Amino acid sequence: MSKIAEEMRAATSKPAAVPALLVLEDGAVFAGTSCGAPGEAFGEICFNTSLEGYLEIATDPSYAGQIVVLTYPQVGNYGVNADDAQAQHPALRALVVRDLCPTPSSWRSQESLGDYLTREGVVAIEGIDTRALVRHIRDHGAQRAVVSTTDADVASLLEKVRRSPSLVGVNLAADVSCDGAYSYTAANLPASHGFALAAPAEPRFKVVVYHCGVKRSILDGLVASGCELTVVPWDTPAEEVLAMGPDGVFLSNGPGDPEAVGETYRQAEKLLGRVPLFGICLGHQMMAKAAGAEIDKLKFGHHGGNHPVQNLLTGRVEVTAQNHGFCPCFQSLGALVPELSGGATEHVEDLREWGRRGIAPVVANERFGRIRLTHVNLDDGTAEGFAFLDVPAFSVQYHPEAAPGPTDAHYLFTAFARLMEGRDDYLDIDIATDRLSGWKFGSTAEGEVA
Amino acid sequence: MPKREDIKSILVIGSGPIVIGQACEFDYSGAQACKVLREEGYRVILVNSNPATIMTDPELADATYVEPITPAFVEKVIAKERPDACLPTLGGQTGLNTAVELAKSGVLERYGVELIGCDVDVIERGEDRKLFNECMADLGIEVSRAGYAYSVEDALAIAEELGYPVVLRPSFTMGGAGGGIARDVAELVRIVSQGLELSPASEVLVEESIEGWKEYEMEVMRDAAGNGIIVCSIENLDPMGVHTGDSITVAPAQTLTDLEYQRMRAASLAVLERVGVATGGSNVQFAVHPETGRMVIIEMNPRVSRSSALASKATGFPIAKAAARLAVGYTLDEIVNDMTGTTPACFEPTIDYCVVKAPRFAFEKFQGADDTLTTRMKAVGEVMAVGRTFEESLGKALRSLETGRAGFGADGKGEETALTDEELFAALSRPTAERIFLAAEALRRGMSAEELHERTAIDMFFCNRMADMVAVQEALRGCALEDMDAEAFQIAKRYGLSDAEIAVLTGSDERTVRACRKILGVRPAFKTVDTCAAEFPTKTAYHYKIYDADESEVAEKTRPRALILGAGPNRIGQGIEFDYCCVHASYALADAGYETIMVNCNPETVSTDYDTSDMLFFEPLTYEDVMDVVDATDPDGVVVTLGGQTPLKLARALEEAGVPIMGTSPDAIDLAEDRDRFAALLDSLDIAYPRSAMASGLEEARSAAREIGYPLLVRPSYVLGGRGMGIVYDDAGLARYVAEATAVSPDHPVYLDKFLEGAVECDLDALCDGEDVYIGGILEHIEMAGIHSGDSACCLPPFSLSAKVQDEMASVARKIALALGVRGLVNIQFAVKDGVVYVIEANPRASRTVPFISKATGVPLAKLASRIMAGEKLAALKLPEHFAKPGRYFVKEAVMPFGRFPGADALLGPEMRSTGEVMGIAESFPAAYMKTQMAIDYAEPEGGMAFISVNDQDKRAVAFIARELVRLGFSLLATEGTAAVLRASGVPCEVTGKIHEGKSSVVDAIAAGEISLMINTPLGVATRDDGYELRRAAVRHGITYATTLAAAQALIAGMQAARAGELDVAPLQEL
Repeated sequence: MSKIAEEMRAATSKPAAVPALLVLEDGAVFAGTSCGAPGEAFGEICFNTSLEGYLEIATDPSYAGQIVVLTYPQVGNYGVNADDAQAQHPALRALVVRDLCPTPSSWRSQESLGDYLTREGVVAIEGIDTRALVRHIRDHGAQRAVVSTTDADVASLLEKVRRSPSLVGVNLAADVSCDGAYSYTAANLPASHGFALAAPAEPRFKVVVYHCGVKRSILDGLVASGCELTVVPWDTPAEEVLAMGPDGVFLSNGPGDPEAVGETYRQAEKLLGRVPLFGICLGHQMMAKAAGAEIDKLKFGHHGGNHPVQNLLTGRVEVTAQNHGFCPCFQSLGALVPELSGGATEHVEDLREWGRRGIAPVVANERFGRIRLTHVNLDDGTAEGFAFLDVPAFSVQYHPEAAPGPTDAHYLFTAFARLMEGRDDYLDIDIATDRLSGWKFGSTAEGEVA
Repeated sequence: MPKREDIKSILVIGSGPIVIGQACEFDYSGAQACKVLREEGYRVILVNSNPATIMTDPELADATYVEPITPAFVEKVIAKERPDACLPTLGGQTGLNTAVELAKSGVLERYGVELIGCDVDVIERGEDRKLFNECMADLGIEVSRAGYAYSVEDALAIAEELGYPVVLRPSFTMGGAGGGIARDVAELVRIVSQGLELSPASEVLVEESIEGWKEYEMEVMRDAAGNGIIVCSIENLDPMGVHTGDSITVAPAQTLTDLEYQRMRAASLAVLERVGVATGGSNVQFAVHPETGRMVIIEMNPRVSRSSALASKATGFPIAKAAARLAVGYTLDEIVNDMTGTTPACFEPTIDYCVVKAPRFAFEKFQGADDTLTTRMKAVGEVMAVGRTFEESLGKALRSLETGRAGFGADGKGEETALTDEELFAALSRPTAERIFLAAEALRRGMSAEELHERTAIDMFFCNRMADMVAVQEALRGCALEDMDAEAFQIAKRYGLSDAEIAVLTGSDERTVRACRKILGVRPAFKTVDTCAAEFPTKTAYHYKIYDADESEVAEKTRPRALILGAGPNRIGQGIEFDYCCVHASYALADAGYETIMVNCNPETVSTDYDTSDMLFFEPLTYEDVMDVVDATDPDGVVVTLGGQTPLKLARALEEAGVPIMGTSPDAIDLAEDRDRFAALLDSLDIAYPRSAMASGLEEARSAAREIGYPLLVRPSYVLGGRGMGIVYDDAGLARYVAEATAVSPDHPVYLDKFLEGAVECDLDALCDGEDVYIGGILEHIEMAGIHSGDSACCLPPFSLSAKVQDEMASVARKIALALGVRGLVNIQFAVKDGVVYVIEANPRASRTVPFISKATGVPLAKLASRIMAGEKLAALKLPEHFAKPGRYFVKEAVMPFGRFPGADALLGPEMRSTGEVMGIAESFPAAYMKTQMAIDYAEPEGGMAFISVNDQDKRAVAFIARELVRLGFSLLATEGTAAVLRASGVPCEVTGKIHEGKSSVVDAIAAGEISLMINTPLGVATRDDGYELRRAAVRHGITYATTLAAAQALIAGMQAARAGELDVAPLQEL
């Protein structure tokens, strides 16, 4: 670097440049500078397309084991507020950005993202062509990668990354679950969100949450809709849970390969039919696994806040937050029940076809009876939600709690409350009305001067 | 839901002439809508008075009515066409207001026309503050505390309760016209009294001030199934207090946490639902308190708007197209995302770049007007820049403006460098067009980002980013270019510096910087706008340039490429007309087998629609940026003659860099621009022209003036829109104008031309292929010589010139075009005095009148010019023999923005100041002229009192006009001199004194609405004469007025035609 270049860089608010490298297992190399903790981190690389909400992403336990690329190029603009974090500590392996803002600005900011990442020991790299990287991942698929601030030798990093463990078959949920049971109630809601969020409903339900890496916003969403929570570790036996006498059980989101989280889906199998059940993301996959579904691994997953999901019961489209690399296969749950599937006897390959036909198809499942496909991803036709017709249970692949992302699917929390009330029409909710219920828009409603 | 089959034909209402607050973004949205509706198989009927639009191209609709957008004319169209439905949400406030009136008066019901895309109740709830506030209260969304005033007294009482400052918003005006911020009683009284007059409901909202809050805009779409999406969020760099159209804005929102953003998103969707927007696009604006997050809704527009055009360009999501499909019954999930071709439009675009929009102002055209930016929009155009970071985009946006600046202030060119620290720092608190450069200068002089924030209320995020930009500039300043390595260039580029700025900072020149940079391997990459941050593969080649990237996404060349340089931001003198020409070039060259490439930075235009050309580069039109596109695309030809002065200025430099220029050579352009070379050419061809001279200082000018004789037309060289022009009658006037012209264009000399007072001016547009010439049309100006051709009403075919004179003009044009070696278009301006045809100037490029003439004659001149540039010959194009259509007159009238600039003189002169134009078509010249007046005023004068005051030269002719006015039912009021003439001719009139004698009450009478028509023909340039006050008053109170007798005569004949019910409507397709 020339003297001029050094002086130009030093004149900015950026910290001194520490070189860093990102190397993918297929040999792609991206050079940048460090913007987090020093070190070397291995993980599976994926990208998230949300425009904001970087802290929520960085602290989402579902990113355990992953190196996350943010597609929006300037990150850290509004700093960090601890109340927005989805877990006590970040679980992702490394963060990759185009440009990290060292001078955040927000009335809510407590520190800069760079300081936060450094404090939390998260390796991060900035100054790389993230769009080129995203195109590479899109075309070549998710794969192992390394971010290093300590090793500048590409060949050595490539060798190391190829030797690093793959995510397939690894139980990461165990790493991010809790050690023991704890309760979570309205008293635990982040106080600083009060300016924007409505007060929680009166507690009416006792709910047990299987913590496979649960996001705090999910707990908040359940509490806001009137649940008192007992959060239990991922492998808590179903008998113990049932012994607590809950009104409902919730299966949380979580990281990695669902096949590896056997203890959870085996509990789900025991719980189905015994207690109302709701699952999100990994929880959805757990319920599908319990019903014997096959799970597919997506090429580069869904990670972002703009995925359109159609509710097949209403035809309405929700813009959703998503974060998953695996997806249960609806067709594998059983044969179609023609009289509940518009007369259709054959599965279709592209599930969007059901939306076009205006049908929410139902299969006959060997273990749990009839299961309905309730939600479909309009981008790629993957299954996004199931409702069990013969046992009180439903689940979605996407994130109604958003955080970050749009809150169109907020109604699913309401639906869970209805399910626990024993209502059959629990999913029949106007999303537009429900979308408003969680928010507080202003301090006064009356603006006009008499 | 599939599309509706119960409707077969749809009426689309356009937005009329380009005015401040309603510009060519509505051509973009309207053209998109027309295309989509026709694709869907509907019969499209269009009404728009603006001939310079793509949407009024006859191919875009089944029946195109270039008629005034008034309820009366639209009703005539409805009666004739009997459409099943009317889509009014794509034509701005004008289209919407007209539709509301037609609905309320029962016309729509009577003819069985269904409003689609909105209904009247929704429009009212969106625009009537009271109803809107009730809706917001239902939702628990805060509005700023406010009350309605129907009188100045009301306003005073409300302001007393809220405390000053207060924001004033007249109801139902466009672009916030008539609004403002009042800091004290005097300001309140002034703005409210004006606002009450401008508001159709005579109603002004008086609001608590939320000045200095953060301002946001959400672009929302909704379908009939209730699906709603946010297409784009926009954050204003300029905080509350500056109209969003006058603000620098950034997309996406930069400083909202997810919690705050999602709350705003949910609120925006709820607003649409509560207001009742069934389908289509709307925008919702919010203010957020920077220290508490308190969120207040400012307003919503239940229609496609300027910011939806910006949002479409910023994201690649075509809002207007989608809105049109939604209006005919589709839902968002049934519409395919054009970009990916596989995913639905029911999603929220995600972008992986930063977009900055910057407004373009024209205060230099309106001397005397207050240049403080307020809640009332004053910008005449805008630019958009795309980069990976805010810094990159801001630098790009500022050099896109074509205000002579090379970026964020490093060029040291602005007036800010001359200010003392004290002046500079104090000036920061007043928002102006220049404030962004003052901010750069203040940071340069050591002001901290915090202090900048305190003085401007600009968010710290932006202040810090700007501080970094300036820090990088200053670290580079004084270094030698040869000491810069690749990394230094990368950093400079990443922080938004242009080559021209690096040249200033390193004491080098732009081309050397470019050469060094390229030798070091620092070349830009081009990325793609794709709605999805590369998550899905896309085919659309909508690119922007960045530095410091590993990968460029420009496709390999597989067939010949033609690159078209656009016109940049709209400004006075260079507007939509040139965009029209560029779009036509793109279409024609695509037909000729080229892969077409558009370069432009104006988000309002059709040219920057991603499907207008095969490739779109959203880039500034500077040498650096254009050359980078040339390097990336290797075009076989570059079109520089259709985008106005912007690309023309680059022609020479591009040619010197070895770029193949299509059509007329840069040397021929120079031959026409260079007065000496051109005069020599005219002499050699034996063509008459007004005597002229060139002068480099006042002394030379004086001696030239003695030789030529007064009056003189003075002008600097190389300017468009007559900037710095003036007519001088004596030595004192000459001295003043020479000083001014030198200030505008210091490096170029001043030209003095004999001013042919009383001559008739004409514009002629022709095509030339080097061998043959085709006369596209001749326009006769209605205003006398001396009024800028862009501001003068004119008529095709000429209404008063003999065939002999017209033939003479055609023959002169042929000679000039062939002698210049034109390959494409040429525009020649003539003055005819005493039967002699003089050439005033020739411009071998597309002129402002090309779209008008093309519409009037049905001969698409810009397309043909492009085919000639591609090598075709006129002989093969099979053009009609003569441009005129028997029995049809086409009048063009200019639209003036004076109402926006109180204090500026409203007198027409050689300096162009109009923003747009309308076309009137009729079987007689006066009827066509009348239509243009109605298209501009949206009404016709219905009698009442006419005020007449004419100069001595006009006194003899005024009696005839006055008599006709009396016959039309006007009573007359005249100044003494004029009254004496009228009385002598036996025309009854009242007399009023001259203003400067303190006797006149005319201004008061105008203010009181007692005058409905004014004829005032001034002479001379003094702005302190009576006429100044009169014309100002007329403008402010929207009174029809004529400043020449020719215009007055046409106006009167037109009124006669209107009274006689002779104003019929006919579509272009029938002519």
